[in-house]
Amino acid sequence: MEKIIYNIAAFFTSPEKAQWFVTELYNNFLEDDRWTWLVDGLWVTLKLTFFSFIFGLLIGLVIAIIRVSYDKKNDTPTTNFKQKASRALLGFFNLICKIYLNIIQGTPTIVQIMIIYFVILANSTNKVGVAILGFTINSSAYVAEIIRGGINGVDKGQTEAGRSLGFGYIPTMVYIVIPQALKSSLPALCNELVVLLKETSVASMVALEDLLSAALLIKSRTYNAFMPLIAAALIYLVIVSILRSLSNRLERRLNSGER
Amino acid sequence: MEISWIGQMLEGCKLTVQLFLVTIVVSIPFGLILTFLYTGKNRIIRALVGFYILVLRGTPLLLQIFFIYFGLPYIPKIGQHLVIADRFTAGAVAFILNYAAYFAEIFRGGILSVDKGQYEAAKVLGINEMQTKFKIVIPQMFRISLPAVANETIILLKDTALITTLGLSDLLKVTNNIVNRTTNVSAYVVAAAFYLVLSYILSVVFKQLEKKSAF
Amino acid sequence: MYEIEAVNVKKSFGDLEVLKGVSFNVKKGEVVSVLGPSGSGKSTFLRTLIDLEVIYEGSIKIAGEYLCDNGVYPGKKEKALILSKAGMVFQHFNLFPHMSIKKNLMCAPMLNKQGSKKELEEMAFEMLKKVGLEDKMDVMPSTLSGGQKQRVAIARALMRNPEIILFDEPTSALDPELTGEVLSVIGKLAQEGITMVVVTHEMGFAKEVSDRVVFMYDGTVLEEGSPDEIFNSPKNERTRSFIQSVLK
Repeated sequence: MEKIIYNIAAFFTSPEKAQWFVTELYNNFLEDDRWTWLVDGLWVTLKLTFFSFIFGLLIGLVIAIIRVSYDKKNDTPTTNFKQKASRALLGFFNLICKIYLNIIQGTPTIVQIMIIYFVILANSTNKVGVAILGFTINSSAYVAEIIRGGINGVDKGQTEAGRSLGFGYIPTMVYIVIPQALKSSLPALCNELVVLLKETSVASMVALEDLLSAALLIKSRTYNAFMPLIAAALIYLVIVSILRSLSNRLERRLNSGER
Repeated sequence: MEISWIGQMLEGCKLTVQLFLVTIVVSIPFGLILTFLYTGKNRIIRALVGFYILVLRGTPLLLQIFFIYFGLPYIPKIGQHLVIADRFTAGAVAFILNYAAYFAEIFRGGILSVDKGQYEAAKVLGINEMQTKFKIVIPQMFRISLPAVANETIILLKDTALITTLGLSDLLKVTNNIVNRTTNVSAYVVAAAFYLVLSYILSVVFKQLEKKSAF
Repeated sequence: MYEIEAVNVKKSFGDLEVLKGVSFNVKKGEVVSVLGPSGSGKSTFLRTLIDLEVIYEGSIKIAGEYLCDNGVYPGKKEKALILSKAGMVFQHFNLFPHMSIKKNLMCAPMLNKQGSKKELEEMAFEMLKKVGLEDKMDVMPSTLSGGQKQRVAIARALMRNPEIILFDEPTSALDPELTGEVLSVIGKLAQEGITMVVVTHEMGFAKEVSDRVVFMYDGTVLEEGSPDEIFNSPKNERTRSFIQSVLK
């Protein structure tokens, strides 16, 4: 195996450089099957990203609906006590959401992860699960704003059409408004997914074995930071590029149906 | 919570703000230059800049920080000349390179948003290409990009916390030290408050800027 | 000697041939209206006269000089010299939004060092007086109505003392009640001897102000003549049906 790589490299550059390249390659990736550390790390990173995104999407959706419902309800006048009470209740939840959003969006992700980790992990051994919780909370705040923007962007005529067809408030939201809101938010949501993927590297700083910490682990063994970090960078780059092209294709597919 | 914490955290804030300012001051002009190169006529330069932007926006900032500080010296042959011993400088370089790429994309979007009619009007009035770019297009590009730039700087403010990983005593490192010493986790809450205040100040500054530069 | 001379101008966008051999001439001081349905190529043709569109065959002469000789253009500097005698007013005004009205007018002449700041400022004031907006010198474009913006655009074009002004549907983007102020300014300019080519849908203007009317259809000139000829006794069938459909 090494012979083949050596010969290919020697073809492109001088024999000494080829030799150096092979040695480095060996030290960094092949010895002790260190490349598997990268694969394991990548797996953890992907798990973190996707689970945090899905849960963050659900929570963000709920928050967005609360925020939008409160803003819209404020436009209509109240008549009886029941309406006033339900509006007050909604107002309470809305306030909590606003505080939540402000705090999460106003503080660094690494601070949030550290808080979650050192406060909660004291009682738990599932490091990945706790990290997912942390990134879910983080992502949900940004997703909530994205979806809220999407909902507000849906033409008002759609809600009016739904109500005039006899749908109540919730069915109108669920069957008419939210699907359209999600479709128009798609570019921003895909972007958030990519951002989240990069953010998960922060987890390496709380001793989570993600892709970046796997690279750092190799570095601590070989003392050469260049190869493992380049390898990790390439892997991130490839995944980000795949995600971006998938999202472009998805957008195009969804939008072509519109004409 | 103790009062002494606030004093220490303020010290840490100093470093945070320094990193923030250095990054903003250098990466915005650098990003602007990148945008010009990216929208210029030389195909090779366009490809190189495009690759730069792709890599810097496609990999985590944390990885880039480590790469600049730990990885540069190990690049074959040229590595020995690329050693950045000072941790702050290494961190700053990573931040600058990273944010320049994001600003370059923002400015590119801004330039593309300038109406084609502006170029045509300038042309029939006899304004040459260079003057059109600098006197007509770029001022409008800045105004159009302002919200995105404001957004990006708030993200930068939060990203400065990553400099902790190089062992520098920024706000987060100080907070971590306090927590480790006193095992009192509420220090994090105070740190969060600091960041919130800084974010708020930043958004107020930008709102003023937007008002002032409105057409 | 013609002020504008176009011979067999051809232009295509990819596979679509938009101008299929357009020829017409404009005498000095003449006001020519160009009419036609959308897609006839009238705006595109107008834009070729001022090098905003490139032709692949044919010749264009501006004030006696070849802008394009059989599909061949001169160098940048020569082109700029030839085109310095022409100005254009756009459908969507294209004022510079980040500059005051005064700066909008003075910007180009100042960059080309065509006079001192004081001289240009006085000239800007004079031009704005011509279009009736001398009190808006220091105002920003966003505060003006569409009709006012277009009049400023006309004043801006006048700053170069052009012999020719081209108008590309100058009132099409305006609310109906604002078209009058712009058309009357153009009418006044017509009396000052500036050569004008106006692509427009305003039939009243074409009838009363122009010396000649050109009817374009599908990339060629179908008919041309005096306003009386075109509007009252058009020779071509298509011209007739267009006039009828528009005047309804």
